[in-house]
Amino acid sequence: MARGGRVVLSVWIGLIALSAIYVERHLRISGDLRLFMPAPHSAVERLLLEEVSEGPAARLLLLSLRGAGTDELAATSERLAAALRSDRAFRLVANGEYRLESIPQALLPYRYLLSPTLDHERFDGDFLRAQLSERERDLASPAAGLLEPLIPRDPTLEIVKLLQSWEPAQEPQQVDGVWFNARSDAALLIVETAAPAFDPQGQHAAIERLHDAFAGARSSPAERLAVSGPGEFSVMMQGRSEADARLAGILDTVGMILLMLLAYQRVRYVLLGALPLATAGIAGLATVTALFGTVHGITIAFGFTLIGVALDYPIFLFSHELPGVAQEDTARAVWPTLATAVTGICVAYLAFLASGVVGLEQLACFNVAGLAAAGLATRYLLPSTLGPAKRDYGQAILPQKLAALFGAVPRPGLLAGLLCLVCIAVIIFVPGPLWENDLGRLTPVPQAALQEYEALRQELGAPDVRYLAAVEGASADEVLAREERLQSALGTLVTRRAISGFDDAARYLPSRDTQLRRRAALPDAQQLTASLEQATRGLAFRPGLFAPFLQDVARARELPPLTPTGVAGTPLELSIGSLLIEREGRWTGLVTFIDVRDPRELTSLHAASDGAATVLDLKQASEDLVGHQRERILWSVAFAAVLLVGVVYAALRSAARTRRVVTPMALTTLVTLAVLHGLGLPMNLFHLIALVLAAGLGLDYGLFSERSSRDPSARRRTLHALLVCAAAACTVFAVLATSALPVLRSIGITVVIGVVGNFVLALVLIRATRP
Amino acid sequence: MLLLLPATAWCAALELDALLKSMARPAPASTHFVEAHFSSLLSRPLIVSGELEYLGPDALARTVQAPYYEHTEVRGENVTVERDKGNPRYFSLKRAPELRTLLGSFAALLSGDRAALEQQFDLKLDGDTNAWTLQLTPRDAHVRQRVRTMTVNGSGSDPRCITTAEPNDNTTVTLLAETAKTPLPQAPDRAWLDAQCRGAPH
Repeated sequence: MARGGRVVLSVWIGLIALSAIYVERHLRISGDLRLFMPAPHSAVERLLLEEVSEGPAARLLLLSLRGAGTDELAATSERLAAALRSDRAFRLVANGEYRLESIPQALLPYRYLLSPTLDHERFDGDFLRAQLSERERDLASPAAGLLEPLIPRDPTLEIVKLLQSWEPAQEPQQVDGVWFNARSDAALLIVETAAPAFDPQGQHAAIERLHDAFAGARSSPAERLAVSGPGEFSVMMQGRSEADARLAGILDTVGMILLMLLAYQRVRYVLLGALPLATAGIAGLATVTALFGTVHGITIAFGFTLIGVALDYPIFLFSHELPGVAQEDTARAVWPTLATAVTGICVAYLAFLASGVVGLEQLACFNVAGLAAAGLATRYLLPSTLGPAKRDYGQAILPQKLAALFGAVPRPGLLAGLLCLVCIAVIIFVPGPLWENDLGRLTPVPQAALQEYEALRQELGAPDVRYLAAVEGASADEVLAREERLQSALGTLVTRRAISGFDDAARYLPSRDTQLRRRAALPDAQQLTASLEQATRGLAFRPGLFAPFLQDVARARELPPLTPTGVAGTPLELSIGSLLIEREGRWTGLVTFIDVRDPRELTSLHAASDGAATVLDLKQASEDLVGHQRERILWSVAFAAVLLVGVVYAALRSAARTRRVVTPMALTTLVTLAVLHGLGLPMNLFHLIALVLAAGLGLDYGLFSERSSRDPSARRRTLHALLVCAAAACTVFAVLATSALPVLRSIGITVVIGVVGNFVLALVLIRATRP
Repeated sequence: MLLLLPATAWCAALELDALLKSMARPAPASTHFVEAHFSSLLSRPLIVSGELEYLGPDALARTVQAPYYEHTEVRGENVTVERDKGNPRYFSLKRAPELRTLLGSFAALLSGDRAALEQQFDLKLDGDTNAWTLQLTPRDAHVRQRVRTMTVNGSGSDPRCITTAEPNDNTTVTLLAETAKTPLPQAPDRAWLDAQCRGAPH
């Protein structure tokens, strides 16, 4: 290598390193799926997006403890719950323990405003008499020890009524005072994490703490903890994606090194060939970091997939070298075609900026910056580092044989027309959905894990993850009042067995009006004393026993109604916080359902609330969202295609040549669609991204195949380049196609089909139509 | 004296074993009962009567028949209390250690299982075969906060009554079997109940 080459190489590597340091310092990777969702249009869509990542159902982790007798498991459950309750990573921990102590002293007088007793009863002589007779019987019953401490202060047992009404609508069975599954071989707990479900780092930390707490709580090492839930899945997904991607990376690297060695028989080319790709990756990352700051993990993963096009750039340079011709001159000769390819793909990516999806905009920036950098580096930096050319790769045997083979295909124009018709027929006539709308199908979570989660969810009576009602209002109180008016309709749903239970904020916190009405129904001290006197006559209670009761009622008559802010720091805050959400001055109350058996009946809630409640089918909404998103992406792709053709035309200045370059690419896209559909694989977002990548590669192949050169040996060098490019792309993406992860597999399969199609069609069609 | 000690201990042990063996009944066993509850919340005792059924080692049913109906069932760790009207009340035995103690002593007494009894209680036997007193003191300090002692009075192989003393001076006296059939006076007090427990002199 000349001295100048060494300087260039050092400066180049230095720049890559500096950019890497910049990225390392400033890049924040986000796991928030919303970056990849279109901007919400309606309040319901916004709620859906919030719900997807932050909703109460999405943050629940279901735990089961196994591997010991019920006594040990129950004790472990208690110790684990106690440990987790003091951990801020968890907002709520429930294991079935019934805790009178869970109501703070300050809230105790509020029981008369919170409990529904005063809606249909008065604290008069008759009512108190009936209650006190019952209490007398309680004292002679086995529950005496439990109730005795409450009776002087709370003879109507409002506390007990409240605690019971706050219990989950459907509870698992209790063994030893904690929840157990029906077979009594697993203690069950529910925890709600503070971190949103799609924050893999936060969930990972929470799950680690769970396991730590369990290790400290278990009675014997034989006891096992199983964690299940959306958060756990997102952690598992990330772990698997990383493991899969790492394996794919290793296989790809080995494959590429072997391929490059085989093609060029120069170790230096193997190493230098990787530099434009590295440049592309770092330039892309640095640009996105500078423009957005926060980058979605998916952007990075897809970005690095799509940027694989940059691998082709040095290959075009290497394959075209000729002994005796300066590398700089080869680069200059290749550059017009290469520049057209780079410009075409970059301009096409710009179309994604209009997609309205932040993740795709990031992806576009990443690729434009990366590919431009790789193209420029291949032209201006790479040649001087290569050293003198040693071979004419046009003399290689395989390209010559392939050229002869493809050149001998008869009537390629007719074949292309037939192929086109067959593909259209397959797409139209083969039954099956063309598009995949179910985001769930993309999840790499094993079916067994999903089934276990579903079973646990059923046992625990956890809220349904699909259906949800939203009640909106200008204030928290308006929402609570509207929810109260829904209670009877909800009750009807339960009695009609459409659902087995529901949960909403009004269950815990009545509206201001309701609280005031109950407060007004409380008798004054004089009346109450008289009623109490009448009620205790003839009963065995010690005189003066109920003084604390008189005091609490007197206190309750003075209390301002309890508000969402008033419950801060109490267990109620947890229950209410996830069900009553404030956003930009508007309040939304969520009504969650348990065990939805007949979703059609839920629609009655809309009418029952005079339109204040909207029933959401999260599955339907997410499918709609995916549909909207796809529509925008398809428009972007179409726009990108137009831009791309425009760039090619501008460069070639000939409609006929443009058609020759674009036809194989367009036909390949059609073939890919037909093959996927014929295999019964519905298209999803990832297939679309892969199609764009394949089209980008197709553009390179088309441009280079079409590159007019009267010298047959130069054409063979181009063929060598195309062969190496296609083999490289196939190696990389065939590895992905064998991945266990649906996302990676979709991309792999699509690109492999696309690369083979583009390569073959470019050779057959462009050769044949050459004048 | 030193020589006598082991012999005395051996004698007492034999007596307790014999007593326990003679009291053992196969499940299910049932008996009539009269119960008087003395509580610091009350100015006079509450008296109820009904049927106690021992259904097996961890199952007990208690049915109050007078002056009202109430049915309690303990199965495993779960307790259900049900009255003629209204919803049954459920709770865990863990929240009612006094009940667990009662159940445990019942199970151990009726199965004649001295080892099980001694695992839960310190035992003290007084009196003679005609009128004996077996005092059970819970070994667990936690349980002792709810149940100070249980005293079983009896004669021959029949327990006559159980007195449960709680730390806050709440006391429950349960008359069993034949003793429970004695007609109650207008206002039975502690002295009358204690006399019933000890057995009226023949």
